[in-house]
Amino acid sequence: MPLRYVEPSSVLETCALLRSNRDARLIAGGTAVVLMLRQRLIDPSLLIGLRRVPGLDSITAASQWLSIGAAVTLQQVADSDRVRALAPSLAAACQEVGNVRVRNRATLGGNLAEADYASDPPAVLASLGAVVCTAAPEGGGRRIPVSDLITDYYTTQLTSDEVVLRVEVPLIDGRRSAYVKYRSRSSEDRPCVGVAASLVPDPQGWVASLEVVVGAVTSTPQRMTTATEGVVGARLDEARAGAVAAAVAAAIHPIADGRGSAWYRTQVIEVMVRRALAMVVA
Amino acid sequence: MTVVDLDDRDAQDTVVGRPRYVLDQHIEGELHAKIVRSPHPHARLDGVDPTRALATPGVVAVLTGADVSGDASINATFGRQRSDQPILAVGTLRYAGEPVALVVAESIEAAEAGREGVGIECRALPHVVDAEAAGAPDAPQLHAAWAGNGCGEWKLRYGDPEQGWREADRVFEGTYWSPPASHVPMEPHVCLAAWEDGRLSVWTSTQAPHRVRDDLAAVFRLAPEAVRVQTRDLGGAFGAKGQTTIEPMAAVAARRLGRPIRLELDRDEVFLTIGKHAASVRLATGVATDGRLLVRRVQVVYNAGAYALTSPLAAGQGLLRAPGPYRIPHVEAHVLARYTNTVPSGPFRGAMTSQLAFAYESQMDEIASSLGIDPVALRRRNLLKDGDQYATGEHLHQLHFGELLEDAARAVEWGTPCAPAPPGRVRGKGVAVMIKTTLTPSRSVARVELAADGSITVRSSSVEMGQGSRAALTRIVAQALGVQEARVSVPHPDTDRTPFDSSTSSSRTTSSMGTACVRAVDDLRCQLTERAAAELGVPAESLAHRDGAIGPQGGGARITYEHLLALGDPPLVGEGLFESHGGLPAMDPLDVRGFSTVHWHQGAAAAEVEVDCETGRVTVLRCHGSAYAGRVVNAHRVRQQNQGSVVFALGQTLMEELVYDEGRVVNANLAEYMIPSIQDVPELTSTAIESSDLEAEPHGVGEMALPAVAPAVANAVFHASGARIRCLPLTPERVLRCLRENARADGGSGG
Repeated sequence: MPLRYVEPSSVLETCALLRSNRDARLIAGGTAVVLMLRQRLIDPSLLIGLRRVPGLDSITAASQWLSIGAAVTLQQVADSDRVRALAPSLAAACQEVGNVRVRNRATLGGNLAEADYASDPPAVLASLGAVVCTAAPEGGGRRIPVSDLITDYYTTQLTSDEVVLRVEVPLIDGRRSAYVKYRSRSSEDRPCVGVAASLVPDPQGWVASLEVVVGAVTSTPQRMTTATEGVVGARLDEARAGAVAAAVAAAIHPIADGRGSAWYRTQVIEVMVRRALAMVVA
Repeated sequence: MTVVDLDDRDAQDTVVGRPRYVLDQHIEGELHAKIVRSPHPHARLDGVDPTRALATPGVVAVLTGADVSGDASINATFGRQRSDQPILAVGTLRYAGEPVALVVAESIEAAEAGREGVGIECRALPHVVDAEAAGAPDAPQLHAAWAGNGCGEWKLRYGDPEQGWREADRVFEGTYWSPPASHVPMEPHVCLAAWEDGRLSVWTSTQAPHRVRDDLAAVFRLAPEAVRVQTRDLGGAFGAKGQTTIEPMAAVAARRLGRPIRLELDRDEVFLTIGKHAASVRLATGVATDGRLLVRRVQVVYNAGAYALTSPLAAGQGLLRAPGPYRIPHVEAHVLARYTNTVPSGPFRGAMTSQLAFAYESQMDEIASSLGIDPVALRRRNLLKDGDQYATGEHLHQLHFGELLEDAARAVEWGTPCAPAPPGRVRGKGVAVMIKTTLTPSRSVARVELAADGSITVRSSSVEMGQGSRAALTRIVAQALGVQEARVSVPHPDTDRTPFDSSTSSSRTTSSMGTACVRAVDDLRCQLTERAAAELGVPAESLAHRDGAIGPQGGGARITYEHLLALGDPPLVGEGLFESHGGLPAMDPLDVRGFSTVHWHQGAAAAEVEVDCETGRVTVLRCHGSAYAGRVVNAHRVRQQNQGSVVFALGQTLMEELVYDEGRVVNANLAEYMIPSIQDVPELTSTAIESSDLEAEPHGVGEMALPAVAPAVANAVFHASGARIRCLPLTPERVLRCLRENARADGGSGG
């Protein structure tokens, strides 16, 4: 069947189109969908372009939340003064994706919906406690924590008629965050290992809370709660950071792919967790 | 900072996107073809079912191997050295990705849809991917005619190796591995074919228009003149377009359907069409304790892939280059190429040589380290010098290895410690030198036409593929004729209009076609002199050429070239020939000796690297390439060729590998087959070593630094970290494993 393309002008219309065309696909920047089409990994009868849907392309900040529209490009995220000030690790991660041609097309909502295991933004967003806000027919919109969104390779909780509207990043005073991307091949490669760390210090500078999320090493970003709980209430010195890094590396059973074997990833996870923690402490 | 030459028309055109490639070409009434490829690495082909494809809207026809082999007027196989490659598979599938059928449709989309509907009935056979394994007695056999999967065998014995092994104080041995790799030209292979009155006309992205013409003439049993091959600038080639590949398919379909056919490969198909020879190089070298190389044994197994292409002879080219650029009194070399169930291997920038230089230059540093001799000093002591005898028995001349080595060492401030590295990282430097033959025998013909308006047209079949051949030939002709470059044009190759050339390969164009052009200009000038002598009524010997005019040697009234041609006259045409003889085809493959090449290519590289000891990741901080260029035609373009060599080679050094799993390529795409991005390019420097003789010939520089890059980087990694990696690419994982093993070994010996 020939592929049709439509451009709805509202979220409601988009949801309705998705409901009545169960094999439809949303397309924003197209960096993922077009590749999948070319590789025949997907075979939709309808592509729904989001270009004319209003309200998806802004970055706003309130006292509690930084809100990024689903159709904001990764380069816009990286360049945004607001994001750089309020969620510097997210700006850094978006700046590291692919190359400038990809970043100028790819959108944050598309990145999350694609759920590529070897991607940078999901791990960072999970480490920041970000939430995805969606719309669905008949008021079925939800708020889904990014850390729960991706369930398997290229698989999310999103239903086939659900549209990502925006991503909300909670704002916490004094939070320090970092993202370390490790590439084992070219400078434009996806991550072999990506580590996002987010530290909220208590008044004396010790750990009030610590999030470490490791991306690109398994089917979904790995949020490491057990490995980090031992340092809560303590000073994150080099020895404790090393212990966290070792615990994280021990807890993950990484995949093997063209970027590295499971053994290699385990070595690198430990190194990169240490480096990410050094950045949030410094 | 490098200043771009604003007079460089080609550079300007390319930057603004003006060139038109074959990829941009269409013929009115064309049909589009798409290739159905083998899903199996090795199988009996029982049949092809086109029923569903034929029912696809827009599909006009499905061609199979049976259609081709059933046509008595067509040779169903092609190949210059061995006619072993079927136009479309018949009876046997020999690699995953081999063309099995051609779907022809009114649009590309229809052809793509039709491709999904072609059924392949076959029974899987055991397959072999590794060339060493392909030599085992029980290995799967690819071609009945070629027992043991043999695809070329060459041997050389020089001096008395037994004596050498007796005299050696120390013997160093190692096996060095280069994986299969892909050329990744930006423009995919593309061909348009049309028939008219029994004549075949083809547009194709090729480095060798006459080779394609002759191959197509053989397929259709036509005289070469009945086939016309045209090309345009190529969007990159690197050897991938030096052979006939997709042209017979397009031409067969065009004849059968009576309409023009356009066949353009998808990106993944480029990976499945031709690649680089994987090679294992076993190298043993006996040395004296003072560092003199006494004896060397080199055993090479190249992976030819499923079809021969150039492998049988190219393996011999490898043999000529295998001993390395050193004075070694005793040498034994044995080089094999073997068929395997993989993508056919062909020429690849630095062809057959990169694999060898990685071996002998890595081992050179191993020897230096073990003997406690500086790596540059060890090379200095052993490099071939003018007049030295080489393992082929020839005495070599015009050698500049010493200068190249010193230049490379100077470029990275050899002997000065690296700047301190950040914590957890170490830095080191490495150098390497390489020797390479050029295509011999070969032939290039050029015609230089002078029109009455003073414009000069160079008829040449050399192909512009980004290397700057047009700019080089323009300058050579303009200088030889003493006219402005703006008056010279070099139209695209067209076998109906441009004279014969062996191929644009082997870094031979500036030298071979350049020589032919100079001779064509000489011929043209003679004709002009005769005309002027008749016009002026003076003896030809008394006349001289200057600034596009002819006059008495001592000065006086001169006649311009334009004046010598009256308007309406046909252009005056000079013709020049470059031809070389001998070389490998004239030798006994199992006892190679004698004249090998018209020129010995010489190059060197140096690198400074930083190794992250925690991850094993290698960052090349700076890299230098140098080449012996004879007489430099265009210094800026020589620099660009050296830089291009370095960047291209860094890919194979650090990240490139075509990966097979279960006999199938699993990374035939640019997300998983990595090439360097602009951010991977280190600080680059370059040198062209020039002959002191102003009349020296220009020599090609397209590949000279390239084979030296991988060993220079590997040696720098060793110098920095102690990790000696004998396997390309130098992935972080390989480096880290080696660092861990070294640490364990150190710990063991300490305790």
